[in-house]
Amino acid sequence: MSNQAATLPPLRKDWDGGVSPLGISYGKMFMWFFLVSDALTFSSLLCAYGFMRHKFTGAWAHPNEVFSHFPFWKGDHPLAYVGFMTFDLIMSSVTMVLAVEAGHRLNRKQVAIWLFLTIIGGFIFVGSQCWEWYHFITGEETLQVYRDYWMNGKHIIEPHFQGANLVVNAYTQLPTFGDFFFCITGFHGFHVFSGVIINIIMFIMVVNGVMDRRGHYEMIEKAGLYWHFVDLVWVFVFTFFYLL
Amino acid sequence: MADFFEEYAGYPNYEKAAIHDEAHGKPVRKKLWMVFWIMLGVTLFELYLGSSVEMGELNKEYVFIFFTLVKAFFIVWIFMHLGDEKRALKYVIIAPYTLFIFYLAFMAITEGVYSHYVTGVGDPLFIMKAVLH
Repeated sequence: MSNQAATLPPLRKDWDGGVSPLGISYGKMFMWFFLVSDALTFSSLLCAYGFMRHKFTGAWAHPNEVFSHFPFWKGDHPLAYVGFMTFDLIMSSVTMVLAVEAGHRLNRKQVAIWLFLTIIGGFIFVGSQCWEWYHFITGEETLQVYRDYWMNGKHIIEPHFQGANLVVNAYTQLPTFGDFFFCITGFHGFHVFSGVIINIIMFIMVVNGVMDRRGHYEMIEKAGLYWHFVDLVWVFVFTFFYLL
Repeated sequence: MADFFEEYAGYPNYEKAAIHDEAHGKPVRKKLWMVFWIMLGVTLFELYLGSSVEMGELNKEYVFIFFTLVKAFFIVWIFMHLGDEKRALKYVIIAPYTLFIFYLAFMAITEGVYSHYVTGVGDPLFIMKAVLH
């Protein structure tokens, strides 16, 4: 970059002291280190999931049957809603990176607009996950499947439970499936939620001109790193839970 | 901490290192949108594969994991700007994580397959008994 050459002192090696050997500021470096440790946590959870998945091969639920519901749209739509959620998160990732780019040009108005769109995308994602969880836990009969059986001489017809929670599970006999689903998507959803909170704080700071007084928009970059990390985790959760 | 460093004369201002003008921002934005379209295309293809196409279980698995790694590369390298950072930082971020996780994933999958064959828990009746017990 042209400005970088002007600000960095020449004729100084990386490890001679007086400069950052990694070439970034203190805050950004530790955001990266935090993200690496967080990534290790998520990876461990997903590896545990992989262990169980391979241990119970043949008895595990088929994602096509599990994730086939869409709000306000009855019928069987395999992976449609989770596709929408993925699109939403990728979209909000792009708006975030555009906010970072606008911050590099010190353009306060554009940063505010892109950040606002990112916050909207984050809320849509968290709301979608709330709907999905509610749907799973209560087992709404979106497919209108009924089961009938005889009990004590009476013919009973009742809606078939179409969900998966920690007690009952309509798709497989394994309680592990629900445990892992709620643990990992819940952990990720909490990250999305905290990312939205961070973005809201950033938005308020940008609108109040805090970044302009500092002379740089690096806080947007750090918040952006966190937000992209959330998207990165979703890419893996999406593959291992919904596709495989 | 930042104030502590700024007391040294000549300490570079890394916070302002990435600031650029409008002319430089245009190709950057173009690249970002291109990455977005690639990722959207890959995701749609994955959804199409996942919901409709019948393939061998093993083939499908490898295709999905390959595309996941492609998307992860784009997010980390382009969106998180790791590609623009110094080489030392790239290694600091990527190397320890990759080493550890490849090892962990290998162990978890190997042990999972092993215990599947040893205990025979793929049998639904076995699981029902285990759950009810």
